[in-house]
Amino acid sequence: MRATAVGFAIACLLASARAYGQGAPPAPHEDDAFDFMNVLADRHLHDLADEAWNAYGQFTYITSFKAPFSPPYTNANGAVNSFTPEYERGFTGTFTLFFGVKVWHGGEVYAVPELISEHALSNLHGLGGAIENFELQKTGSVTPSVYRSRLFLRQAFDLGGETSTKSSDPMQLGGAQTSRRIVITAGNFTVLDVLGKNNVLGDPRQTFFNIAFMAHSSWDFASDARGYSFGATAELYWDRWAVRVARMAPPQNPNTLAIDPHIERVHGDALELAHDHELFGQPGAVRLLGYRNRVFSGRFDDAIAAYEADPSKNAASCPLGSYNYGSTNFDAPDFCWVRKANVKVGIGIDAEQYVAPGVGVFFRAMYSDGQSEVDAFNSADRDLSFGAVAKGVLWHRPLDVTGIGLQLSSISNEHARFLAMGGIDNFIGDGKLGTRGAEGVVEGFYSVNLLRAIWLAADLQVIWNPAYNADRAGPIVIPAVKVHGEF
Amino acid sequence: MIVGALALALGSREAAAQPAAQGFAFERAYPSAPGAGWIVMDDLNIPDELGGALAITLGYERNPVVVSGLAVVSDALHADIGASIHYARWRYYVDIDTALAVSGASGLASAYAYTAPSLDPSGHPDAITDVRLGADVRVLGQPGDPLRIGAGAQLYAPNDNRANYTTDGTFRGVIRALVAGDHGHFTWAGQFGAHVRPLDDSPTPGSPRGNELVLGLAGGVTLCPCARWGAVIGPELYGASALRALFGSSTTAFEGLLSARLEQRGAGQRVRIRLAIGSALHHEFGAAEWRVLAGVELFGHAGS
Repeated sequence: MRATAVGFAIACLLASARAYGQGAPPAPHEDDAFDFMNVLADRHLHDLADEAWNAYGQFTYITSFKAPFSPPYTNANGAVNSFTPEYERGFTGTFTLFFGVKVWHGGEVYAVPELISEHALSNLHGLGGAIENFELQKTGSVTPSVYRSRLFLRQAFDLGGETSTKSSDPMQLGGAQTSRRIVITAGNFTVLDVLGKNNVLGDPRQTFFNIAFMAHSSWDFASDARGYSFGATAELYWDRWAVRVARMAPPQNPNTLAIDPHIERVHGDALELAHDHELFGQPGAVRLLGYRNRVFSGRFDDAIAAYEADPSKNAASCPLGSYNYGSTNFDAPDFCWVRKANVKVGIGIDAEQYVAPGVGVFFRAMYSDGQSEVDAFNSADRDLSFGAVAKGVLWHRPLDVTGIGLQLSSISNEHARFLAMGGIDNFIGDGKLGTRGAEGVVEGFYSVNLLRAIWLAADLQVIWNPAYNADRAGPIVIPAVKVHGEF
Repeated sequence: MIVGALALALGSREAAAQPAAQGFAFERAYPSAPGAGWIVMDDLNIPDELGGALAITLGYERNPVVVSGLAVVSDALHADIGASIHYARWRYYVDIDTALAVSGASGLASAYAYTAPSLDPSGHPDAITDVRLGADVRVLGQPGDPLRIGAGAQLYAPNDNRANYTTDGTFRGVIRALVAGDHGHFTWAGQFGAHVRPLDDSPTPGSPRGNELVLGLAGGVTLCPCARWGAVIGPELYGASALRALFGSSTTAFEGLLSARLEQRGAGQRVRIRLAIGSALHHEFGAAEWRVLAGVELFGHAGS
């Protein structure tokens, strides 16, 4: 056991990969923005075009205010997962350092420690695909904690083609790259660092606050409760085409911090096909993403069938030691009776198109089978989002950012039936579900740049049908502000 | 069967009656600042020019916490990642230690109940222990001089859980006087200071007793003063002793390392590879029975 743990640790370290709490990779630094590496380069102390190392950092503070709303009920039948109706303020504060070192030709190692302090609205319960703040870690607390978000090796193999410049950025060493290449990433990271990236949406720390715009809500990508995991990805770039594959380790139990190291038995696989193009002289891209998870989870049908066959197999009577969400509802089904290795699949499309310099539009949609519980991300089975993001190039403030977007997410019939019977799917479950509706969020923000390194942002979100419950429709109004700095 | 049950119950009651030991930061080989040359000591070759270093050090230690034969912490594997910036004699650094695996045995020892840590990458995939912030300054002497004198201070910000034996759960600090020098092929370094440690778990055996004296000495020879690479090999001796029971048998830890480093010479950014193997000279108070360390460091400065 000890040898296994030590061996796994060594393997993880040597085969490190990259991960990022709840998400997306950091955005490239603007050339004219302030950062430490630019300062060194300006003084001829560092070569940004051929880096042996780099170091970046960021801090982000987001505070959200939930205006009261008046649902007809909250937490019916002893449930604890409803989005609470009273006024509330939540926040997250993060501080991240990004270190990168070139270890040999084509080989780069990245380490990313991160600090977080947080308090989520409604204790993070009650929203399916539209959680108000992408920074919210499912295991964070007000007391700051430091963790290793990423430690990974990236190895590139040049296959020829045109040579282009790779800019110096967080988790990217400056240098040259060819248009035809293979890139292997292995270790501790999030799959969102490699797959599912949308350049218009970019880094959520610079754009939308809501998690709905960070990734497909219904892509239940394998990760621990912070959004990171261990695994490997491979990318093949062939001029305008790219193919990306990933295998990541899932959590031992849904949405827990502990990772199941038996990646040969349980895993989250993903395949992405991407094509870059130009439309009317402006860049764009289309990506198809499919995933297949084989994880230790419960199916809605199985949980319902177990309860209907034997009502003693309910949510309040879970076997001692089994993983459950603490429901006290004796009349609801629960996954604790039926968890086993199950497969979940989904397929989605992601498109981005710039329509003017610095102005882009995006579109995302995904359909998952919706047969089993959420394992690592959001309680959503389908999602659709679109919107626009603009940098202030047109009004001579190129580092300002503004955007507006809409996302809808929904659940399968089996999922809805499970919730209607009082079941809990990790973060959602109002105790009953009378009228099902798509959960939606519309969000707009404006981010003002100060001193080339700090952004102050104001944001407004309107959410309806929280947890797909049209009887508790809302709307829920959530204004928020953000301070973000990069160095 | 009844007798057995009674015995078990009595045994359980006896165990439950024992005071429980709490965890603490057991590490004794605090890695030197990134760019400081040695594994534990500091070569004080802090240039005046602006520069810095990035370092990763992987370490394994065996039986660092043994109480009356009970190996409470028997195996620990960690990766230490650090970055430093130096300018005008000063070095500032941050050091982040990732505990990859920590394990041991639970049981009763010296009338205390010990619960072994059980930390592994799957259960704690992102564990980081205390974060160290430090500053060192070269007060006298120039890089390469036979005598250099400096000082340093480190602040440990608590992180992780005491039960993992990776943190005291409180802020703590180290202030040190540093000396170093070079005489031809011989190079040496030393430190003397205090570990300001609020945690005092006395009389729990093996546990911290508050503030500590820290000291160390290292010496080595340059084996290959080549144009592109140089190798330095030599011993490093270091230890700590609780001030309230100075040099007491159970409140003092001493270790010795045989360390070797291969350094790239010349201009620009350079690489330093560090290896060390060592054992306890006084196997108490957190000194590991034996340990191995390996690290890679990227360092340089303007004009180098």
